[in-house]
Amino acid sequence: MNAIVALCHFCELHGPRTLFCTEVLHAPLPQGAGSGDSPGQGEQAEEEEGGIQMSSRVRAHSPAEGTSAESNSPGPKKSDMCEASGCRSLAAGHPGYISHDKETSIKYVSHQHPNHPQLFSIVRQACVRSLSCEVCPGREGPIFFGDEQHGFVFSHTFFIKDSLARGFQRWYSIIAIMMDRIYLINSWPFLLGKIRGIIDELQGKALKVFEAEQFGCPQRAQRMNTAFTPFLHQRNGNAARSLTSLTSDDNLWACLHTSFAWLLKACGSRLTEKLLEGAPTEDTLVQMEKLADLEEESESWDNSEAEEEDKAPVLPEGAEGRELTKCLTDSSLLSDCGSWQPRKLSVFKSLRHMRQVLGAPSFRMLAWHVLMGNQVIWKSRDVDLVQSAFEVLRTMLPVGCVRIIPYSSQYEEAYRCNFLGLGPHVQIPAHVLSSEFAVIVEVHTATRSALHPVGCEDDQSLSKYDFVVTSGSPVSADRVGPTILNKIEAALTNQNLSVDVVDQCLVCLKEEWMNKVKVLFKFTKVDSRPKEDTQKLLSVLGASEEDNVKLLKFWMTGLSKTYKSHLMSTVRSPTASESRN
Amino acid sequence: MSTKKVRTYPESSVVLTRDLSWPLSEFDPSQIRLIVYQDCERRGRNVLFDSSVKRKNEDTSVSKLCSDAQVKVFGKCCQLKPGGDSSSSLDSSITLSSDVKDQCPKYQGSRCSSDANMLGEMMFGSVAMSYKGSTLKIHQIRSPPQLMLSKVFTARTGSSICGSLNTLQDSLEFINQDNSTLKADNNTVINGLLGNIGLSQFCSPRRAFSEQGPLRLIRSASFFAVHSNPMDMPGRELNEDRDSGIARSASLSSLLITPFPSPNSSLTRSCASSYQRRWRRSQTTSLENGVFPRWSVEESFNLSDESCGPNPGIVRKKKIAIGVIFSLSKDEDENNKFNEFFFSHFPLFESHVNKLKSAIEQAMKMSRRSADASQRSLAYNRIVDALNEFRITICNLYTMPRIGEPVWLTMMSGTPEKNQLCHRFMKEFTFLMENASKNQFLPALITAVLTNHLAWVPTVMPNGQPPIKIFLEKHSSQSVDMLAKTHPYNPLWAQLGDLYGAIGSPVRLARTVVVGRRQDMVHRLLYFLTYFIRCSELQETHLLENGEDEAIVMPGTVITTTLEKGEIEESEYVLITMHRNKSSLLLKESEETKMPQCNCKYCSHPLLGQNIENASQQEKEDIQNNSKELLGISNECRMISPSDCQEENAVDVKQYKLRTCLDTKLETFVCTGSAPVDKCILSERGSEPTEETWQGKELLDSDNHPGKEIRATGIVVEKKPPDKTMPPLLSCDVTQTKVTFLIGDSMSPDSDTELRSQAVVDQITRHHTKPLKEDRGTIDKHQETKQTTEDQSGESDIQNMVSGEPGELPCWSHSDPENMSLFDEYFNDDSIETRTIDDVPVQISTDSKEHCCMLEFSKRLCTKNNKQNNEFCKCIETVHQDSCKTCFPQQDQRDTYSILVPHGDKESAEKKIAVGTEWDIPRNESSDSALGDSESEDTGHDMTRQVSSYYGGEQEDWAEEDEIPFPGSKLIEVSAVQPNIANFGRSLLGGYCSSYVPDFVLQGIGSDERLRQCLVSDLSHAVQHPVLDEPIAEAVCIIADMDKWTVQVASSQRRVTDNKLGKEVLVSSLVSNLLHSTLQLYKHNLSPNFCVMHLEDRLQELYFKSKMLSEYLRGQMRVHVKELGVVLGIESSDLPLLAAVASTHSPYVAQILL
Repeated sequence: MNAIVALCHFCELHGPRTLFCTEVLHAPLPQGAGSGDSPGQGEQAEEEEGGIQMSSRVRAHSPAEGTSAESNSPGPKKSDMCEASGCRSLAAGHPGYISHDKETSIKYVSHQHPNHPQLFSIVRQACVRSLSCEVCPGREGPIFFGDEQHGFVFSHTFFIKDSLARGFQRWYSIIAIMMDRIYLINSWPFLLGKIRGIIDELQGKALKVFEAEQFGCPQRAQRMNTAFTPFLHQRNGNAARSLTSLTSDDNLWACLHTSFAWLLKACGSRLTEKLLEGAPTEDTLVQMEKLADLEEESESWDNSEAEEEDKAPVLPEGAEGRELTKCLTDSSLLSDCGSWQPRKLSVFKSLRHMRQVLGAPSFRMLAWHVLMGNQVIWKSRDVDLVQSAFEVLRTMLPVGCVRIIPYSSQYEEAYRCNFLGLGPHVQIPAHVLSSEFAVIVEVHTATRSALHPVGCEDDQSLSKYDFVVTSGSPVSADRVGPTILNKIEAALTNQNLSVDVVDQCLVCLKEEWMNKVKVLFKFTKVDSRPKEDTQKLLSVLGASEEDNVKLLKFWMTGLSKTYKSHLMSTVRSPTASESRN
Repeated sequence: MSTKKVRTYPESSVVLTRDLSWPLSEFDPSQIRLIVYQDCERRGRNVLFDSSVKRKNEDTSVSKLCSDAQVKVFGKCCQLKPGGDSSSSLDSSITLSSDVKDQCPKYQGSRCSSDANMLGEMMFGSVAMSYKGSTLKIHQIRSPPQLMLSKVFTARTGSSICGSLNTLQDSLEFINQDNSTLKADNNTVINGLLGNIGLSQFCSPRRAFSEQGPLRLIRSASFFAVHSNPMDMPGRELNEDRDSGIARSASLSSLLITPFPSPNSSLTRSCASSYQRRWRRSQTTSLENGVFPRWSVEESFNLSDESCGPNPGIVRKKKIAIGVIFSLSKDEDENNKFNEFFFSHFPLFESHVNKLKSAIEQAMKMSRRSADASQRSLAYNRIVDALNEFRITICNLYTMPRIGEPVWLTMMSGTPEKNQLCHRFMKEFTFLMENASKNQFLPALITAVLTNHLAWVPTVMPNGQPPIKIFLEKHSSQSVDMLAKTHPYNPLWAQLGDLYGAIGSPVRLARTVVVGRRQDMVHRLLYFLTYFIRCSELQETHLLENGEDEAIVMPGTVITTTLEKGEIEESEYVLITMHRNKSSLLLKESEETKMPQCNCKYCSHPLLGQNIENASQQEKEDIQNNSKELLGISNECRMISPSDCQEENAVDVKQYKLRTCLDTKLETFVCTGSAPVDKCILSERGSEPTEETWQGKELLDSDNHPGKEIRATGIVVEKKPPDKTMPPLLSCDVTQTKVTFLIGDSMSPDSDTELRSQAVVDQITRHHTKPLKEDRGTIDKHQETKQTTEDQSGESDIQNMVSGEPGELPCWSHSDPENMSLFDEYFNDDSIETRTIDDVPVQISTDSKEHCCMLEFSKRLCTKNNKQNNEFCKCIETVHQDSCKTCFPQQDQRDTYSILVPHGDKESAEKKIAVGTEWDIPRNESSDSALGDSESEDTGHDMTRQVSSYYGGEQEDWAEEDEIPFPGSKLIEVSAVQPNIANFGRSLLGGYCSSYVPDFVLQGIGSDERLRQCLVSDLSHAVQHPVLDEPIAEAVCIIADMDKWTVQVASSQRRVTDNKLGKEVLVSSLVSNLLHSTLQLYKHNLSPNFCVMHLEDRLQELYFKSKMLSEYLRGQMRVHVKELGVVLGIESSDLPLLAAVASTHSPYVAQILL
């Protein structure tokens, strides 16, 4: 809790004095910040700013300054008469106490006064108000007071028995100061209870001492005898005894430190908040699953450092493993054209770029096959080109639907990959060439440089290639095609939309359709409903056209295992169907 | 489908009865008293108004009252029935009060109430203060029990400054004036003040730190009269401060750069997500490096409202004090309830007091302006009216019915009845879609709610964290959790902001009122809306002090068994939970009795130690019983054929079994702080397939013998509903796990330390061979340890432990063979030894406890280590690596350390004991080890140094202060399930109310009559006196009229004419679609659970669309709506919704669109 807790005393010579006070020092940055937390990342800048600020603050509290303030402090000079007694807690030169709460990196520090000048006077003011200004009926009890300038104070005043004091008691208060008045007031019942407990203990100890002293040397009688001598007043004034002696507890200050630190922590953690976040997207889930698989495969790693670092170089993996890792690391960069390295010249930068290079009709055919899950084969000499093509094309699909073999020396079956890169001379089986479930993009070196004038002017590297897109059964131009394809095309066509907007647009479209996929999966695979019902459902989803249905079926393969098993186990609960009847 | 129409009515009656569960009903308006004072510099203090005093006659004016110190009589305030029709009762009250003379003749002539002087002292303080801003105070008066909330502020007459002043100007002005008026001695102080403090400091905006305007004695007061000495005056403090070598001016000017965005700038560059909001709050209210007044509403006012002649000489100031006194009942419980409500709902109370204050100011101006008696009487009545309104509002706020089970919060609490909940929700949904479809009523309302109550947005924002296998579809935000721990903010405040939807940018406060004569319909709609109006859930936790934890867990431990229905298999399973009975008196008792004395008991209470020792004898026996019984259970569990279980479940069961056995023990690893709520457990899940089979056995067997065994051993057995016993994580898991063993009080069910414990148990289960023998012996040993720590101190303590217990000593040196055998005996019976680790903390109630068991544990580990060829360590190490991802490294490291270097641990544990007990030993600076403790007096082992070096770097900075190990550290949920009145999520979602309650986030009312009267002023008040303590740009109220089927949004920024309350809502087609498609899914017989999941998915789509919109708008000044529609699928009707959503993550959107 962002508060200062202090013990104050009304000294008969000096008036209200702060005796002991415990502050809270927080770590500069919350440890959870920025660790993949999306809201946190959004405002990284501000946090950093805050962090710097805070760390400089912490430095201001450094013990060097602390001790100098402590040892040069007015204490010894000013409170000569009360030195080592009522007006001091820790002896001059005492460094104070500190406790670390390791889990939260919060430190609790106690001194007689706060070292920070502003806090010093805040506490000072609160102390004066608590003991001199505010009126509490019965003089012992809780009060809250404060304002925006001086902070807000919860104060509990109390008496400590002292056989030598005027009226046989001395007046103290424990105060908690915060700038957050709502927090402080919300905590009133809690603070009252706990502070009352501390007070009870102090009073109890003091009472024992008092009784013992009264037994040994009844002050009242003595005073009756020596009454009215000016000396007595003087002497009594001087006799401001330390709380340690009043309670006969040498560990008093250390105990108080512990109590105050505990109080601060307990009050800060009294209420905890459960704040839900959305479920991760299917893409995230699939990526995490892949990562988990990877980890399982590479059990061999030893040191935990390897885990922190990029795993790719460490893994003794085949092409597939590397590919997966790559896709994990790269997927976040896909949107960012700038992240492509300059040396890779012959590459596609974005879907829009590819569309420009291939031409709209070829791109549409290609995209169609991609979305439907048909095998997409690129034949080229240029490995980078093929890889970049796949990186771009995959953004149209959910992560779980992407199986890439980036470059192979032989044809791989469709069940192994839906993106296959091949060398120019690799044979493709005839049935694949004629299949309507495959599309082949052949990349030739262009004979004429201006074969594809569209959009290639600025991209010399790609203009040296011709791209021939073929499929066993070409898509007829009048076919409507999957809804998502049309929307993607619209977004790509519209030059007003930046690449980032297109990316967000793709995210929206994919999520929208994945949500339909989830329903379909639930309906057909989990609940196993009859076909007629399915058709009705599809129309509810706005996906009853043949191409959309095909697309949904393909995308269903991309659902994460987590989600599927969740649906299988949880949602198909007996209660759900029972209660319906 | 057709069946659905039949279902409705019986259900609704259930809803209604649940509503009545709001526990507060006793509060009478007459329990609220208003007393107003003025304090003039010349004439002293007098009472302006006191509602407890009866008015003598109507002619008496306010201002006349001002001048005499006598208080006139005012008629008895009418008694309003709580929950009564407020509009009519208010009217009646007005008539009553004007008729007072006739009705209450006996009160004539009564004087100032007896306590007026005292109350005045309390409000103003015995010493007047120079501070000119308004001050806020709360007093608790013991007899008669009363609670007073008061505000003191200034009123000027013949003002020199008009309009809004900030406090800085005010204090500057004040000092200038006082220079001329003060007496000589004070004057010098002030002059010195002005001379020494550069004017620049005064001029710096927002840095109005008022060291310069300190408390100053204006009037000698009773306290000072007794002991005062001129040197006590705060004026002196200034000098002293300066002498102290603190270069104030320098530091102040160096601080002039505002570290945090000022409220104004935060409006524009704000980071409005939940996390940022909380972080900002914790920073802006930070005390760590001085304070920065954030923003202050000008609270002083000008009595004469004609404009200001710049004539400071004439300025006279009055201080006005408003006190609102709540008389509490004699009944302690009622009092506590009201106290709890008052303190938790303080922002709302304060806001209403502010409203009252404005009315009083108005009245004072009126009466001052006019010499006309009727005017004055009017002014008087105005106060009376305002007071009555205040009373009604407070009573209503306190007593009106609430929605019993808000859908979102109930779902969130992980109730095992989630299926039923979803089912009921979908039924209500369907009903409403079919019966409240006129005018697109429901889509319009949901559009408005989603647009304004924005807290749903963070709940659908996808997170990137690994999914919990349990998959409650959602995660609780770890970053916010961590923030709450490292930079505590006020969760209540955060929750309030969520509810009002104040998380967008600019900040808007939203409320929703459903109007309708058909109570049932309104009620159903309210229920439905509680799904969309979201907020975080609050849990009260109780931080245990040292020695408070396990020591009281055992006696209070309860084992519960619950029959859980299997979900995939049709069989039932027994759920065994061993936990502290949280709702029982035991906890309370421990809180009350333990807490106060705990603080210091270990320094000087030899008696305590004895008591505890006595107690622990009994506990020990209990423990043994427990262990045996546990053993029994687990043995039983072992005999089941694996084929009975599906594999996945078996794994889960194993997990629980393991984790639960060690739950208590886990805590012993954590030196400070509660165990983090990481979900490391997941990474371990299923990693040990070999264990599955026997675990599966357990599960079925325990099913066969539900509670028999347990009873036989004489431990309390109690049947409890599963939701009561399970921590959230576990209860979420119900769907996948059949058996949950929760043994020991699991304070942190998902602690990362569980991993280690699991590993330990794994190991244990593999190697268990021998029966328990030495159990008792060890317990004794621990008692010894404890005793010494209690009784002794310092080095003698250590000595005692070392020399006084020769029999025990060998156990502590790892090389001793005896030790090994002891260890074996410990470890070789699995269940028993799982308990023995727990036993340790049970008996030791001091700080050293943890370390003792740490010591014990490490010892075991190390011996085990020797014997098992380091299997143990390896095992633990692996676990650690697994868990690295989720635990933050520091802690993780430390924990690893404590296991891998057991001797060192033991060592430092010893020392820690010494530290914990003996504070006055002078400390050297070396300090702390991985255990968070300190220097070594006894440096026999090198290991210790190794350990302590880990934190060495960090430590250096702090070496100067004496390190004291952090006190108690464990957190226990106090009220996880039980809704609490101190929880806005429960208290501000109103039910069908008999009258309009302006604070409710959601409510139903029968007629909008009262609403029409108050709405405009309520909205503007909400902006002027924001309950959230931060600037509010706009307050809106959604009014859904179920009689006329209209949805309107009233705003503080718009005046609406022609008898409308607000602006009609445009129906977002996205919202309309998502509602319809969800309904269609339900109609296609998809399970309600899935439909709700789908609804969430669709809401998440809205979020993605808003992301797209914000991306589109980045850098744009104009929006091509057509383009949005064609390409992005965003229609103009969706735009307000999506823009509002976008404003929660991309504040710039607001500037472009709004």
